[in-house]
Amino acid sequence: SSVMDPEPIVRRNPPGTKAEDFYKWPAQSFDEMDTTLAVQQHIQQTIRQDFTDTETILTVPPGQDEGVWKYEQLRQFCLELNGLAIKLQTECTPLTCSQMTATEQWIFLCAAHKTPQGCPAIDYTRHTLDGAACLLNSNKYFPSRVSIKDSSVAKLGSVCRRVYRIFSHAYYHHRHIFDESENETYLCRRFTTFVIRYNLMSRDNLIVPIMDDASNTSNNNSVDQ
Amino acid sequence: KSPYSMPGILHFIQHEWSRFEMERAQWDVEKAELQARIAFLQGERKGQENLKRDLIRRIKMLEFALKQERAKVHKLKFGTDLSVEQKHNESNGKCDFPSTSKTNELQTTNAHMSWRHGRQLLRQYLQEVGYSETILDVRSQRVRALLGNNYDAPKPVENDNQVVNGNISDEEKQSNTDGNTESIFKDFNFLNAEDNDNEDDEDLDWSVDQNKLNAMKEQFRQEKRQTKKKELKRKGSEMSRATEEVDIHIPDEGDCYESIENALGLGALAGLTYNQKQQKTSLNTQVLNLQQLIFKIWLSVTEFSTMDFQIAATKESYRKTWNPKYTLRSHFDGIRAIRFLPNESAVITASEDHTMKLWNLNKPLPSKKTQSLDVEPIYSFRGHSGAVLSLEVDADGSYCFSGGLDASVRVWSIPSVEIDAYDTYDPAVIQKVLVGHTDAVWSLSYSSTRQQLLSASSDCSVRLWNPTSNDPLIQTYTTEGIPTSVCFVQCDSNHAVVSHTDGKINLYDLETGQISLVLAEGDGSKYIDCSVNCVASHPTMPITMTAHDDKHIKFFDNSSGKLIHSMVAHLDSVTSLSVDPNGLYLLSGSHDCSIRLWNLDSKTCIQELTSHRKKFDESIYSVAFHPSATYIASAGADALAKIFV
Repeated sequence: SSVMDPEPIVRRNPPGTKAEDFYKWPAQSFDEMDTTLAVQQHIQQTIRQDFTDTETILTVPPGQDEGVWKYEQLRQFCLELNGLAIKLQTECTPLTCSQMTATEQWIFLCAAHKTPQGCPAIDYTRHTLDGAACLLNSNKYFPSRVSIKDSSVAKLGSVCRRVYRIFSHAYYHHRHIFDESENETYLCRRFTTFVIRYNLMSRDNLIVPIMDDASNTSNNNSVDQ
Repeated sequence: KSPYSMPGILHFIQHEWSRFEMERAQWDVEKAELQARIAFLQGERKGQENLKRDLIRRIKMLEFALKQERAKVHKLKFGTDLSVEQKHNESNGKCDFPSTSKTNELQTTNAHMSWRHGRQLLRQYLQEVGYSETILDVRSQRVRALLGNNYDAPKPVENDNQVVNGNISDEEKQSNTDGNTESIFKDFNFLNAEDNDNEDDEDLDWSVDQNKLNAMKEQFRQEKRQTKKKELKRKGSEMSRATEEVDIHIPDEGDCYESIENALGLGALAGLTYNQKQQKTSLNTQVLNLQQLIFKIWLSVTEFSTMDFQIAATKESYRKTWNPKYTLRSHFDGIRAIRFLPNESAVITASEDHTMKLWNLNKPLPSKKTQSLDVEPIYSFRGHSGAVLSLEVDADGSYCFSGGLDASVRVWSIPSVEIDAYDTYDPAVIQKVLVGHTDAVWSLSYSSTRQQLLSASSDCSVRLWNPTSNDPLIQTYTTEGIPTSVCFVQCDSNHAVVSHTDGKINLYDLETGQISLVLAEGDGSKYIDCSVNCVASHPTMPITMTAHDDKHIKFFDNSSGKLIHSMVAHLDSVTSLSVDPNGLYLLSGSHDCSIRLWNLDSKTCIQELTSHRKKFDESIYSVAFHPSATYIASAGADALAKIFV
């Protein structure tokens, strides 16, 4: 053909790339992605385009298996929670928070040990994130990135429940860290929307009030059991 | 009274009709099933045909390889070592050489016979040499299974490293008898049968492959040393004289000769693999032409290059094949760097998920199978607020250094490899944050002699740090262009090599801060894939190795600045290099999803491993040798790290 073919787009971040240029290539439509990591690529791409657009980020592409979608979304949440964990590391010590609590009623025991342990909040946070990483990457429960067994999908709920406690502890005990992190990432409201939409957690456990989200105003008044 | 009644008849007819309908439905189902089965079997059969064809092709290629090597060695050296000849005679009862007179007869009277004869001899040579015993065994078994013959797989023979060449002694010629030859022919009947049956097919195959061959020829031309090139050229002209006597039907012979002359790889690779033993002269030379051709094609076939294959390094003191052993699963995003701890079976990985993790390979997850074990991390280093891009470990494994997208360089104290994965948080692990860079830190290099750290950042600077001091920044070197990789020169820690996105490679004098030598000018304007992704320094020789976006690995001399060698190493951008601590091997990783192990003496690839899947267009970011143990590691965009033993 007489028309010159455009240069193929190579989507790489090679050594030497500046931080502002990281991932700055043209978006690829989900249908064109042919790697096994397509769902992760798509989710990350959508977040980069606008991290405040929770709805678009959580919208499953047509034809995409929902189990895999939930799994990859949860992976991304755990990845981004690292940011909150790092901020907490500076301030949340065994002296300030000797146990993992949110509001007064509950003390959460860390499930990462053989018998549940009353870890200090910072240990609970780290262990929960590390434990989630092990479970979500485990060859036994999640051997593939393109298909999830139903029995493994059931595990996602317990990961969500434990991971949510990091949000609630940060909200109630390290409010400024929570606010700073939330403004940068919109992570908690996206997570809340996510677990409600896919029924991964009971609404009673969603104790962090979400601003700007009318459907969650009822949570402000819920009584903690 | 009649036995029939109207209702009875109607009932009977209805009953029969419904029975027929049912049977018809059954027949339809059966027919569909059988059709499906036929389709499946046809497909299977087609697959088997293809497999058989490929295997036969490979057998021929192996034979040619050996022939070519025979010719080369024969030309290089003359004179025979009699003791080896005799030993060689005794050790392998099958390797009786027909007399040269008989050979000449064959040549002149029956070209086809000499062809088969030659192939049979090659078979013997392959056995004697013990060339790729594993390959031979596997291939011959597969062929045997396919063809259903009782051909015995060749037994591996002890490798001598002696170089023997030249004419067969008179004694040996006389000792060969027709009877022996006959029996030998019978043994190799299956090969001959293949010839007869597939004569036409072969011709077709060769012509079809020619296109691929041409494409791959280009690639191969760039790969090998200049000296080998000249040797082959000389040999090629000698051999072309010999072949004229024989009518061997190979298409495009002349064309292939030229390519073979330029195909330096043949000589180098063959030199690595074959033992130098005595050879016949005239018969072998003809046969060697064919061997050259087919070996070239063999090496060109893409599928071969994407398989794991091992070539016996007979010149090495030991033969090592790396196999995958551990898979490290825990990161949520691509792993940009991987490093071993110097005195432990442990690694640290640095990932785009903002964390680094420590793994103890002695504590894999319990598993029924022993081939591939999964490992979970024992510690997660949290501190970077962006992707972690680079990693280094100090000489005794007590500290590690990381560089990130957040422009920080961090010093960490490495916890003991025996800690419990869910231990209490110890903030002392975070030792220091080295502030100075203003953009992503892509590369780190640690010098144990100086106890100093170099970092290269896309803010166009390279910085020298003393990590333990209170005022760690020693010096900042501004680079011309964006640096991609920095490395202390291992045998001279006063110098460091820096590579850039425009292809520039500079040698810096760290005392003066000046560029002491330019290894490569950099062609930033000329082509898009000019970037150099990684530099590595040889542990004992003043040589720098560089990994390029244009698929090459290049070798530079640090004293003269000259390019020693350049080779096309991968099918895509080469991203990472690692030299083994003894300076004998080089490990390279590429976005073509493969890691390759290179022999640094011969600059040839001795193993290729396919590893890691792609995320967008990236796959392998980092490869590493263990400084003291036999481990190699690869890290990829699929968030996995793999350890091979």
